[in-house]
Amino acid sequence: MSTQPATQMVTLTIDGKEVTVPRGTLIIRAAEQLGIEIPRFCEHPYLSPAGACRQCYVEIEGQPKLVTSCTVQVAPGMIVRTQNTNETVEEAQVANLEFLLLNHPLDCPVCDRGGECPLQDQALSFGPGESRYRDAKRVYPKPIPLSPLVNLDRERCVLCTRCTRFCDEISGDRFLEMYDRGGWERVAIAAGEDFRSPFSGNTIQICPVGALTSETYRFAARPFDLSSADTVCPHCSAGCNLRVDVRRGEVVRHLARDNGDVNEAWNCDKGRFAYRFPDDPGRITTPLIRDRGLEPASFGEVLTWVAQRCRGARVGFLTGGRLMDEDYYALSKLARTVVGTNDLDHRRDEGSTAEEHAAAHPMAVTYDDVEHAKVILVVGLDAEQEVPILHLRLRKAVTHGARIVVVHPRRTRLHDVAEHVLCRPGEEPVLLDRARRGEGPLAGVLEELRSRGDEALVLAGPRLASGSGMAAASVWELATGLGARFQYVTRRANDRGALIAGVHPRLLPGGRPFDVAGARAEVEAIWGPIMTEGPGRTSRGILEAAAAGDLDVLFLIGVDPLTDHPDAALARRALDNVPVKVVQSLELGSLESFADAFLPAAAYAEKDGHLTTWEGRGQRIYPARPVQGISRPDWEIFAGLAAAMGGDLGFDTLEELHDEMGRLLAPTQATWERNVTTELAGSPEIPEGSVHLFTYPLLVDEGRLVERADELKLALGDPAFVELHTADASSFGVVDGAHAVVRTDAGEVELPVRVTDHIAPGAAFVPFNNPGLRASTLLSGSFDTIATIEAVATSDEGSRTEEVSA
Amino acid sequence: MALFDGAVLEDARTIMARYPEGRERSAVMPLLYLAQSVEGYVSLDGMRAIGELLGITTAEVEAVATFYTMYRMHPTGEHVVNVCTNLACMLRGAREVHAEALDAAGLQPGQEVSDDGLFTVHEEECLGVCDFAPAVQVNVANHDTVTPERIRTIVADLRDGRTPEPSRGPAFRSYKEACRVLAGLDQPATHVAVASDPAPAAPAFAPDLSQGSSVGEATP
Amino acid sequence: MTATFEPRLTRSWDEPEAIGLDGYVRRGGYDALRAALGMTSEAIVETVKESGLRGRGGAGFPTGMKWGFVPRDTGKPTYVVVNYDESEPGTCNNRELVEREPHRLLEGTAIAALAIGCRTAFIYIRGEYLWQSIVLERAIREAYDAGFLGTGIAGSDTDLDVVLHRGAGAYICGEETALLNSLEGLRGQPRLRPPFPAVEGLYASPTVINNVETLMNVPDIITKGVGWFREMGTEKSPGTKLVTISGKVERPGNYEVPLGTPFRVVLEELAGGVLGGKQLKAWTPGGSSTPMLTAEHVDVGLDYESLAGAGSMLGTAAIMVMDETDCVVDAASRMIRFYAVESCGKCTPCREGGWWATRVMDRIEHGYGRDDDIPVMQDLGKNVLFRAFCALADGTASVINSSLKHFRDEYEEHVRLGACPLKVDHRPPVGASVGAAS
Repeated sequence: MSTQPATQMVTLTIDGKEVTVPRGTLIIRAAEQLGIEIPRFCEHPYLSPAGACRQCYVEIEGQPKLVTSCTVQVAPGMIVRTQNTNETVEEAQVANLEFLLLNHPLDCPVCDRGGECPLQDQALSFGPGESRYRDAKRVYPKPIPLSPLVNLDRERCVLCTRCTRFCDEISGDRFLEMYDRGGWERVAIAAGEDFRSPFSGNTIQICPVGALTSETYRFAARPFDLSSADTVCPHCSAGCNLRVDVRRGEVVRHLARDNGDVNEAWNCDKGRFAYRFPDDPGRITTPLIRDRGLEPASFGEVLTWVAQRCRGARVGFLTGGRLMDEDYYALSKLARTVVGTNDLDHRRDEGSTAEEHAAAHPMAVTYDDVEHAKVILVVGLDAEQEVPILHLRLRKAVTHGARIVVVHPRRTRLHDVAEHVLCRPGEEPVLLDRARRGEGPLAGVLEELRSRGDEALVLAGPRLASGSGMAAASVWELATGLGARFQYVTRRANDRGALIAGVHPRLLPGGRPFDVAGARAEVEAIWGPIMTEGPGRTSRGILEAAAAGDLDVLFLIGVDPLTDHPDAALARRALDNVPVKVVQSLELGSLESFADAFLPAAAYAEKDGHLTTWEGRGQRIYPARPVQGISRPDWEIFAGLAAAMGGDLGFDTLEELHDEMGRLLAPTQATWERNVTTELAGSPEIPEGSVHLFTYPLLVDEGRLVERADELKLALGDPAFVELHTADASSFGVVDGAHAVVRTDAGEVELPVRVTDHIAPGAAFVPFNNPGLRASTLLSGSFDTIATIEAVATSDEGSRTEEVSA
Repeated sequence: MALFDGAVLEDARTIMARYPEGRERSAVMPLLYLAQSVEGYVSLDGMRAIGELLGITTAEVEAVATFYTMYRMHPTGEHVVNVCTNLACMLRGAREVHAEALDAAGLQPGQEVSDDGLFTVHEEECLGVCDFAPAVQVNVANHDTVTPERIRTIVADLRDGRTPEPSRGPAFRSYKEACRVLAGLDQPATHVAVASDPAPAAPAFAPDLSQGSSVGEATP
Repeated sequence: MTATFEPRLTRSWDEPEAIGLDGYVRRGGYDALRAALGMTSEAIVETVKESGLRGRGGAGFPTGMKWGFVPRDTGKPTYVVVNYDESEPGTCNNRELVEREPHRLLEGTAIAALAIGCRTAFIYIRGEYLWQSIVLERAIREAYDAGFLGTGIAGSDTDLDVVLHRGAGAYICGEETALLNSLEGLRGQPRLRPPFPAVEGLYASPTVINNVETLMNVPDIITKGVGWFREMGTEKSPGTKLVTISGKVERPGNYEVPLGTPFRVVLEELAGGVLGGKQLKAWTPGGSSTPMLTAEHVDVGLDYESLAGAGSMLGTAAIMVMDETDCVVDAASRMIRFYAVESCGKCTPCREGGWWATRVMDRIEHGYGRDDDIPVMQDLGKNVLFRAFCALADGTASVINSSLKHFRDEYEEHVRLGACPLKVDHRPPVGASVGAAS
């Protein structure tokens, strides 16, 4: 916030101690700085002050009435007395707790919150010993399921409105409201509606009593049963700081940890409720080797077996996007210095030179920059579905007065706070190019981007790195030209870490381009000689080579190309034609019939290392439990393989690894930037009677990391559908809720149709991996394609729709 | 949504147009009256329809609807009889009037609607007619200085299809009809009022109040 | 005094034609608006400041000062909002003021709008005042037709729209920030201050909120001058005040008196004394939320300062009179129930304090009181007073504290006898039906 005037400081006295805080600070915050605890319920640092529970009374000298310290800002020379030094304040707090407990059921022994309940704790610390209330308590039916994830017990509620303020101010998903008034005021949801917000779980965590409880944690554990560790969410690039709770070796809960720089106090429901995958029955924790069938073997045996087949062979590495920085680094080094290949890639598509910018420019744009920006252009990103906490921060920016313009093929959940310009995939750079000439719907926002300097941001999402949408680079170029700050937003939990480590055919660690000699030399100074020459193959290139018999060994590390890559048929040919397939993962899944060797990897809850956010911020994760079986962290497997091949990665411990990484991952200079050649390819011509089909994964789908998160899927998942513009739907003769066949060069599928005005005309959307469709079966290498839509004649549309949703 | 279509939708748009552009949410209260004028109470469908019109969630509408006592959240009698029992009226016998109203309407304590569907009787907070206590509103039209005998007559008249003449302002044939006026629609065209019992003569230095509430009698 | 009193706000009350535009204009109506159109907004604000006019809604805040707080350079529109949510038990003078002469309110509103540069004014009328809303709606139409509202008011180049907004049954909406929330289509719960409405009120824009009676005083101040206005009332509380007197009196009604008039004069000379010649037992001077007083306070003057001296408040100048046959515990119980029912629910002491007090009072009145109930009530009053988010709960506390202060023995007797000593007609306990959803 370089443009802000210097913060004015205010000095005041609380309980006789002086403290100096920025002007505008609330008394309760200033007291915290002195270590003075003032009890509170409605107050929450990321929500607007309410002054509702009245628990945090203090006395300000010279004022006749007590005030609530959560609503009053400090003033110079103010003299404040808390319950520690003022009897009236203490009495008022005791009285208020007596009021709060009048109608509370005092059912702590059977309450999920027991043992970690602010009401319980504060009643013991600040409350009356017993209640003088002898009349009948308020009763309500309970518990009321607000959704498959969240239960409401109104009798325990103290009406602090944290949950309703969260829905109103933070998520904007205004499902929860206070109904009625007086003694019958209550938290409620409209009849027949579900609390269908991807942020619903936050209300459970901020509830200061046991009124909102988690269906997945209901009666699961007591706080003293748990062992916990600090980690970072393994799902997306938002990098939410989490606490993992383990009971008897099983992960039973995720909680958001407060980190004001990243996720504040929030996380999304996927991050909160999709935690059972490391304990999936399909998890394999011993190495396997295909002899007669896939049979257990020792690590040494499998590594030796694999090493033999890699020696002198043509090897390709495909990875997913959720390994740790350490894993990616070890793989990058293994491939270049031991195996001798640049055929390694973590991406699912062709990518963009914007990724190379991202690899070399960590923290070019941060959450804080988003929050304080004045104008933000979001291109090719459905933030709520892809990086939910970034979505929340974008919403917060609007409350600070930011203007947000989203350029996307379909409307996103920012629609109530941001302008949307809908265009077909690939048209984004064309629109922006027109805007640069002062034409089209984006001309105005471009002008504003130009005038706002540091407070102007351009965020390009993963949609721009795919197929005909290879536009991220031109958006980058445009942003640079405007003087706006640019960030390419990766989606998966550690795509960014993979880029930085160089799990990429053209990149070495620290964003160093492989084909820039000076950059390569910096790496060689630490690694020793790099055996490879010339840039390697992309993920598609690797699959094509495998399919063509040009590869001997294919490593599949935390990835399943049959579902993850946008060309299921190619993936299948690759698996059929490459002689040796090595799978390194938590489980085999659909790769079971293909794998020749399996190397069991440790899950996030068992790992020690780092994940890197979309900003490029590395964050530490700690293991919550020992590795399962004889699985190992991926980097250890890579080190073991190097040794089995007669090489040496140069580190046996995490400390040694960190020591080396530290020297290479931090970019030392920016001179490696190359001139970017951008083509304004535009959107492909759509033949008459066709649509431009595009797809991306929705937050809750059939991905492997949401395995066994049944409540989450019930709450937020949807069967697959195809979304069409009203005009297109009518030209195809389909109506909302009817069925249609979607046909592409690669395949066809029958899906229910959603008709909307909020998608670009000519475009059609299918979710990437929802029940009823693996969209990779419709694709031929990129995440968009040309498709035809054909109405399915049906005598009874109603019953068909029901079948699908059942 | 079926509740707001045709003429009612037109009414809804008229109501929304009263408020500055972008501030249409202010119309939620009159729209709730409008919904009530159609259905006699505020139904879930009604709240959904209002939410759609205003671009807010059903819960946001319901949160407002349940806050105010003049919105009925359940089916209600064709006629709503409100008896003020707050202090000024209580001191002048309102409890007896309330008990009599329940009895005359055939309602047990706690019963929301009479078996014949005609009546809802509520014990009400101060209606602002403390000078003519006990105060009663029948379909939101005022009846002043009501005695137990008078309330029995009022209820009997309503049951017989007659609309008792209020002490001031026009009468409404049903609660629904009153709700249309509360929505700011169909304003009665003339100032017709009926005088209450004349107030006693005022002392010398204050205005003569002997005309009581002869408001607008002579105004065309 | 009797000789010099000239009715002001009530001077046309016996002239039915004053309800219409023609009748109002014939009596000099809208002359003040024309005069104000010839003044700068600063001059209007200054005049009202000098008049010493204080808000008649209960708090008594100087009106001119309130108008002066409104910033004019924010780039946002400014709003005048008329608080016609008159809901304090015992209060009905605003009702009758508008019933008799609605155009005076519109004229006062228009002058306030000129004073702060407002182009759209809102009148928030309580839903139960349906007849009065019809009266006002008609007056507004007349004023538009006659050019006193709308585009170019009274031949000037100033525009003013007036929008009537009906409430729907919520006492709390008389609290100005709750009123604003209600007007914005939200639950009528009060807002945090600061920001104050003058800076961020309706639609987060600078807003003046005035009571009906306050604004109806304004036209005369403009045309007749500050000196004339100050001829009646006291130095700190100039002007007249409409008092409502109800309950056990011979002639309940609204009476205009100079501020400072002793209660005895209102009771005996205007209202004809206690009904049936009984003895005065207790009275509320300013609505049920003001601490009740007793017969010994009969000579207290009805103005802000004198009543404060007696341990109560002028409030809305709504006097409710109880005689020797009335049970104070029963009356207090009914008033406390009102505050519990009308509590918005937002804050703990009001919501839970009202809940608790209602139940204890109900038991005491019906003979189920326990020895420790009276100390509990004593504590309740202490723990609710000045602890809540807004002043509503202070009403609960005032009833508890003042009734205990003056009539503790009557409480004790209820507990001792296990019955109401005055044998008032009992109802079954209200119990869990208190505040139930409608």
